[in-house]
Parts: sequence; structure tokens; C-alpha cells
Amino acid sequence: MEITEQKSTGVVTLRLSGRLDTTTAQAFEDTILGRIESGERRVVIDLAQLDYISSAGLRVIVLAGKRLSAANGRMVLCSLKDRVREVFDIAGFSSIFSIYGSHDDATRGLQA
Amino acid sequence: MSHHALSITCPNRLAAIGKAAELIEVFGAAHGLSPEVVFKLTLALDEVVTNIISHAYDDEDEHQIAIRVALDGEGVSVRVEDDGRAFNPLDVPRPDLGLDLAKRPIGGLGVHIVRSVMDALEYRREDDRNILVMRKRTGDGSNEGARRIE
Repeated sequence: MEITEQKSTGVVTLRLSGRLDTTTAQAFEDTILGRIESGERRVVIDLAQLDYISSAGLRVIVLAGKRLSAANGRMVLCSLKDRVREVFDIAGFSSIFSIYGSHDDATRGLQA
Repeated sequence: MSHHALSITCPNRLAAIGKAAELIEVFGAAHGLSPEVVFKLTLALDEVVTNIISHAYDDEDEHQIAIRVALDGEGVSVRVEDDGRAFNPLDVPRPDLGLDLAKRPIGGLGVHIVRSVMDALEYRREDDRNILVMRKRTGDGSNEGARRIE
């Protein structure tokens, strides 16, 4: 898995690619919790290049979402591939997270 | 029909799970399983073996997890056998997916994923080993009326 970061107008975007599973979840956890700790409050998780997610990845997303909410911040997700969307649906994530079709929509949603 | 089965010995290291998944992908492609079915098999296996490696062992020793994937007339089964402490995934309570984010537990979705992507799970404890058999029906259902003669 690779994580690339981009920041513009107060929104930090983390783009994940590859596989988010037990072997890679810790790196994602360290990155996103680090950003929250350093003061980021508006976060887009862009999953356009993510091919696979297991419960280890879902765990980090819940953890980060909770941390941000508790800090009056907000996290949204975008551009899920079908396989990732399927796992999100199994986990009932559409009712607890805002999920957008594109990065532009996600950024707009975050700023609204 | 031994050629319609695949046996994998997976050591209790998380990095080994990917290799097992790759072997199942090759087996699935060779036997005409749909990418959707193969995805669900490998996801369920990932969750189950991750649980075993993370929670089943009290020591730091190497253990072998025996995985057997087999095709039969109704679909595919994945049998996972380990010598860790007794753990019946069927005893894990179903998560409440209606909770809002603040009330959601962190983690605990692995067994729920396994239940969701597979059609049936059976667990038994035998000779100090956990044996979990997961079944997935394949095909479009058109073979449901055509019973295989064993």
C-alpha cells in the first residue's frame, strides 16, 4: 500500500493505493492519527486506487472518524472501487460516513 | 477428486496470508470460479487467518495453519484448521450496524465480514484443534436442480 498526501485550502487528502489489510493498516493508522494530532481537522480519504480492504482497514477508518469527530473535525471518503464499496456496505459504513463519487464532490461536501 | 482441491500450509505470520490468497486466486482461475467468488473466498480467509495469527497462540513459536479449498457439486468450501486455543467464530455476537459513529466499537467486524461473504460456516473442536469450514455456492443457481451423483 502507498499513501500520498495533498493539502489545499485547509483540506488534507490522503490517497491510498493497493491493499489496506492487516499488514498495511498500521502505516495508515500512524499517518492519519499523526495528521489529526498535528491539527488537521478536515480530511478526505481518496480510495480511487485502493483495490482491497479488510476489517483491519475498516478499524482504522472508524478510529480516525471518531478522533476527528471528537475534535470537531470531519472526515469524508471518496471514489470507492466496487470491491471496497462491497466491504463498506457489509460494515454499514454508508450510514456513519459521507461517501462521495469524486474527490471534487468530497472536497465540496467537506466545506459545505 | 483430489485435483479439484488445493491444500496450503500457512505459517502463523501475517505476511504469509497474501501468499495463500494468491494460491487461491490461481486455483480459482484454473477452475473457472468467478472473480467475485474468488474475492469473497480470499477476503474470508484473510479475516479468519488474521484472527488465528493474532489471537490463537499463547507462545511465540511457529505454528502451521492448514487450509484446504475444495470444489464440489454445489460450490466451494474452505477448511481452516489450527492448533491454537479454542475459538468458535460462530459465538461472536453480530455487530449493531445501526449505531452511530460515536457508539461504534473500534474493530470487531472481521467475523461479520466472513459471515456476510460466505453462505455457511461450520465449526468444531477436534483433538485440540479448531476446524472451521466455510462454504460458498457458485454459479447462477441453474445447477440447483441438477443433483450431482457421487
